[in-house]
Amino acid sequence: MLASTTTTNPIWMPGGDELAYLGPLWALVATVVAVLLGALAVGRNWRVSAGIATFGGLLTAWLAYRGFSQAGFTNWAGMTPSAPAAPMLVADQFSYCFIFLISVFMVLVTGMWWLGQNAGLPEHLTRKQDSTEFFVLFVGSAFGMSLMVSTTNLLMIILAVEMASLPSYGITAFRKKHNLAAEASLKYVLFGAITSAIMIYGASLLYGQYHTLDLAAIGRQIAAETGQSGPTVLMGVSLVAFMSGIAFKVSAVPFHFWCPDVFEGASIEITTWLSVASKAAGLGLMLRVIAVLTCNLSSPDTLEYVSLAIAVMAAITCTWGNISAFRQTNLKRLLAFSSIAHAGYMLMAVAIIWHPEFGQTDMPAHPSFSALVFYITVYLMMNLGAFGVIALVYWSTGKETIDAFNGLARRSLPLTIAMVVFLFSLVGLPPMGGFFAKWWLLYALWEGNVVWLILVAVFNTLISLYYYARIARAMIFTDDGQPTVHAPISGQAAVTVCAILVLLTGTLSAGWLKDFSDNRSRGLYAIVRPVNQEPTANDQLDNDGSEEKIAEFSPDGGSEFE
Amino acid sequence: MILAVGLNHYLVLSALIFSLGVLCMATKRNAIGILIGVELVLNAANINLVAFSKYNAGVGDGHIFAVFVILLAAAEAALAIAIFMNFYNTLRTIDVDRGDELRG
Repeated sequence: MLASTTTTNPIWMPGGDELAYLGPLWALVATVVAVLLGALAVGRNWRVSAGIATFGGLLTAWLAYRGFSQAGFTNWAGMTPSAPAAPMLVADQFSYCFIFLISVFMVLVTGMWWLGQNAGLPEHLTRKQDSTEFFVLFVGSAFGMSLMVSTTNLLMIILAVEMASLPSYGITAFRKKHNLAAEASLKYVLFGAITSAIMIYGASLLYGQYHTLDLAAIGRQIAAETGQSGPTVLMGVSLVAFMSGIAFKVSAVPFHFWCPDVFEGASIEITTWLSVASKAAGLGLMLRVIAVLTCNLSSPDTLEYVSLAIAVMAAITCTWGNISAFRQTNLKRLLAFSSIAHAGYMLMAVAIIWHPEFGQTDMPAHPSFSALVFYITVYLMMNLGAFGVIALVYWSTGKETIDAFNGLARRSLPLTIAMVVFLFSLVGLPPMGGFFAKWWLLYALWEGNVVWLILVAVFNTLISLYYYARIARAMIFTDDGQPTVHAPISGQAAVTVCAILVLLTGTLSAGWLKDFSDNRSRGLYAIVRPVNQEPTANDQLDNDGSEEKIAEFSPDGGSEFE
Repeated sequence: MILAVGLNHYLVLSALIFSLGVLCMATKRNAIGILIGVELVLNAANINLVAFSKYNAGVGDGHIFAVFVILLAAAEAALAIAIFMNFYNTLRTIDVDRGDELRG
């Protein structure tokens, strides 16, 4: 419960229940330690390291999955009556969902890495000997990303972002004596260090103004302050500085410059990992931070500004990503811009979380949270598949450019069919999962009365068709007589399973996945209600309080909708 | 005349260091120079945190935060310098403008 019970005992120690809620996080930390100890016990063996990481990832996923079904488990860890009211860590359905997706994805990327080790690349690129270090960094970044989605404390947010970023810099630089990897990691570390420094400075200003590190308390004070005298410049500056670090993780324009360079320079498993996990964690964090900070705001003007700012950022991110993808010939770089565009689509869901109708309980779940969970789940599968096909072609031909795909229909039909499924899913065509991902996103935007954002999304979908179709055209219609692609059977099977899953989420399992997303987003649903009210029994209060906000809400296109 | 040092003095100092750090990050082309700018900004944040913690909040949050920021700065510097070494070993320079193979 969101009870504001304060403890009488100043030193609070977590009990067994609270620690059990953090099970998935414990499992990830234990995996890092086990990878290190495994290397001590049996020597440096890449199979052992990968095996331990796989096992740890599966264990984490299982612990998170088990949490889904716990009765009444929609609350904040540490919110039992004895616990402090301002928790450092939060465990709810939403955070468990992201931890589940991140750890499953970690296992899948480990599998991809395993295939890459067997692909016969030169030793300075695969670095089998250093697989222990690789997995410590890799699982460490997964741990950081899991922390990112389960906290509302300024200090913990910064530690989590750094915990996710620092190992990511390391694994980007993992290919030695490789010009592109060296350059990509240099750009990544400098850009990341600059934004995180600005973020920490912004956090220090927030702390100075509101005398607390708890975001919910900061949100209440911001609400009180703006209610009396409107937003101040200092408040705006410190919030923008703080959010820049999160926008960097999401690669929202104007914090996207690292993204294409890093994705092109890193090895392909790392590109896959960063393109989905890092952005999913960033979006989860951004959604939670904004929801917690603004859930008490009652001034419609302020809400409108914040909402409009994020909507404009989402629209620019999306359009910029799609337009820049046009002239790319390197497929990793092309998909990097595509991932910027998809981050833009997902940011659109963040832009409408204030819509007051969303606070009512007659909706199955908050539409924008649910749309985000659905989108990320589908995006995980289709992006993994697309990068998987690119990896299989790269391991066979040594090329990552679009030319390497010329005539793929003749050279390897299964890969071509799978790739076409992923590409059309990335565009958002039925009957692929990407269609329903976009559908629920547009539905949330429609419910949120932002018609202009819907138009931006549809327009972007149309122009993105061009560059995705360019790859399909190269595969099917352009044949310049390159030799057959000899992809390993296991790799082909993995890609095929991915394609089937993408097809299933677009057809038979679409309803199931929607239910899954609805259920997972209920946990966060509670916090967009006013904190001092009971989350389950306040329908009446919410409705009353929100009438005037409905009239004032939509930034631009509300009247068109009516 | 002896001024009593108060919160505002610390904030002015911190703002000054922050500006110098941003200036350093914006103008330096040497990777280590940029990293020094980052450290300046982090130290400005630290001064803020400790000053606010002492004069405003009355609880130790800000002090603890500052300790973590020092730790983060050390970890980040260690990793960044390792990556600069790697860059130097491959390209024989740490001028960030020379890293221009990835573009478009």
